[in-house]
Amino acid sequence: MQRMIARRRERGWFRDTLPFWLILPTIIVLLAVQVYPAIYTVWLSLHERVPTGWNWVGINNFTRLFNMGLFNESMGHTLIFLVGYAGLTMILGFFIAQLLNRRLRLSGFYITLLFIPWIIADIIVGIVFRLLVVPDYGLFSGILQNATLLGPNGISVLTTSRPPALFGAFPFPPAPAMIYLILASAWRALPFITLLMLAAMQTVPNEIIESARIDGASGAQITRRIMIPIMLPTMVVALFSLTLSGMNGVGMVFSLTGGGPGTATEVLSYLLYSIGWRQLNFGRAAALAMLIAVVNWLLISGTLRLTRVQERSI
Amino acid sequence: MKRLWTLAPLLLVAAFVLAACATPAAPPAEAPAVKDFVTWYQYDQDNVDPASDERVGNEYLRQTMPLFNTAFAGKWNWVNQPKAFDKMAAEIVAAVQAGGDVPDLFEMGSGDLNQYYQNGTMQNLRGWAEQQSWWKDLDPSAVAACTGPDGGLYCVPLSSRPHLVYVWADRFPNGYPRTPEAFMAEAERLKGEGLYAITFFGSTAFDGEGTSRAIWTTVASFGGSFDDGQGRMKLDTPENIAAISFLREIVAKGYAPEIAFAGGFQEEEAFKDASAGSFPTGLFGYRYVNPLVAPDGTAYSKGNEQDMLDAIAAGDVILSSFIAAPGKQPGCGIEVNGMAMPVGAKNPDAAYDYINWLMTPEQNGVFVLGPGGGFPALLTTAQTDAFQTPFYKEAAKALSQSQCRSWYGTLNRVKEAQSLIMKTVYRLIKEDPSLDIATELQKAQNEYNAGS
Repeated sequence: MQRMIARRRERGWFRDTLPFWLILPTIIVLLAVQVYPAIYTVWLSLHERVPTGWNWVGINNFTRLFNMGLFNESMGHTLIFLVGYAGLTMILGFFIAQLLNRRLRLSGFYITLLFIPWIIADIIVGIVFRLLVVPDYGLFSGILQNATLLGPNGISVLTTSRPPALFGAFPFPPAPAMIYLILASAWRALPFITLLMLAAMQTVPNEIIESARIDGASGAQITRRIMIPIMLPTMVVALFSLTLSGMNGVGMVFSLTGGGPGTATEVLSYLLYSIGWRQLNFGRAAALAMLIAVVNWLLISGTLRLTRVQERSI
Repeated sequence: MKRLWTLAPLLLVAAFVLAACATPAAPPAEAPAVKDFVTWYQYDQDNVDPASDERVGNEYLRQTMPLFNTAFAGKWNWVNQPKAFDKMAAEIVAAVQAGGDVPDLFEMGSGDLNQYYQNGTMQNLRGWAEQQSWWKDLDPSAVAACTGPDGGLYCVPLSSRPHLVYVWADRFPNGYPRTPEAFMAEAERLKGEGLYAITFFGSTAFDGEGTSRAIWTTVASFGGSFDDGQGRMKLDTPENIAAISFLREIVAKGYAPEIAFAGGFQEEEAFKDASAGSFPTGLFGYRYVNPLVAPDGTAYSKGNEQDMLDAIAAGDVILSSFIAAPGKQPGCGIEVNGMAMPVGAKNPDAAYDYINWLMTPEQNGVFVLGPGGGFPALLTTAQTDAFQTPFYKEAAKALSQSQCRSWYGTLNRVKEAQSLIMKTVYRLIKEDPSLDIATELQKAQNEYNAGS
């Protein structure tokens, strides 16, 4: 009798704790690949390397970052890049998706063609785009640097400095290299975003659009009042994806402009790469990584809030 | 029972995972005693592409690895792991700090010594090196370049790589100018012919690599420097201002091509086709700047380092010291290339054997002519016939008129300083030439010194 009671107790314990044992491997993996690096980054950001080991420096790494002239400038460049890159890609993606949604002849072929940029590594895209505009020797530099066609000196994409800033220290208008970087990045991201938009567009029931047309709605009204609200969740996902890839990606900047000319395309992710992997200052790089994480979080929560407000107003 | 069957596969998976994580069984006792000796070079012995930028080093490894393995047969097996030149420093520091796999030796330039030292990356080799037969034959300045702030020897120097100017002789029929005024006159003449007097690494690429090249050569030739001798940055000096004004004038008057500011080492293109008459860079630049077309149309088109050597032998290209301000000696940068042992190296004995092997008369010259790319650090090797070619004679003549020293002087945070200086100089000479030079230099030095 006692043995039966003990066995039941054991079974009860086993039953109660089984879910925990089943998710334990997942927890261990998450701790190892997400929580530990995050904690280590915080630890690193409060330390500085000296020949004998690590020195506690408190918030000194953050202070040094804020005192760097380049840090504030990079914030400005990042904002310009993100707005340009995400905005251009979303707008172009939406319009190309609308074209493809019209069931054109050979639309499958167009989609295949469209997907080519997405399968090329960003470093390669950067190198190819760079070779097109290398001063004096690039494929398009003859046209771009032609003084008769384009202004008094023409435009050398990789070396022309940015025009004088319009808003104090904020680096606007951007240098031609920044505009080119935005174009190249958008070119690469366009297929994925277009496909997302196309998939979302195809979920809009035809009956609703037909009814709207019968009720006299214009094309613009149908887009604004019917399609965008239905596509909104997908558009938010697309915007997240673009924001995060734009904020954290370094490959394109690395291979296309190297942060130049001067500092004209030095975005935060490139500054992080530079401090961490060129200057080997891991403490300060960790501090910058934490700041970038905060900016990422602010951007995402801001986008979410904006979307909710829009959803309510629609 | 049913639960037991559910649990059994889970236990089985757990057993497999544990087995996979377990230490592998010890090798059988009769396994060969040959141990791997691992190096990190920026060269790749498996890359046989004749157009590769690093073909000289690649070929060197292909030739010498079998020789070493034969010389140490039954003892060491040399394994080289190629690393990109601009990634190796970060990888080695990260590997040492993370306790990961590190090589037994890695190739390094003395310009990286301070940041390796700061990160506790290298072992002090002084105690061992001083006991070796070749120690007293080393050039003292090369030893100094491998010496850390604490007096430790953190690399064994193999070759010295000074900077000088490659010049198309036909572009400067009266010889390369010696003074800024003479240079400007020649540059104006060349501009009239649709040509440029000079191309140089003028961009901020590679985190300000240009600082160590033409920028330092110019500053040093005007009697300037970047430090105060006490580890603090000092940029705002009359000499530095004069040097930057000189560069600013060159750029403003169009004496340098736009490609000088494009980065990616593309400034070389203007020298390759002789549209630019001169190119201040490292002695080792001869390997990378090819193929060449001389001003008279002669093509040097092998597409390898032989092109520049042929052009020098033919007298089309001459090597020169840089222009100097009145009363100053031409300056130039210098870097020492050597081998360093990281903390945590598994096989230091093999590393010692390898260094001794590199220091033998048969191997030392081969190394310096291969990956070394400069003058031998061993004085005896420098006297051998291999270093009496037209190229080396021409280089020695040019360097005898110059005073070469490392650009960073007593600065500790070398890469940070490099980036900051190049960005400041770029802003002053290219981005906004209306800025006050002294003010901008002061700002940059204040920013650096705030972190000291």
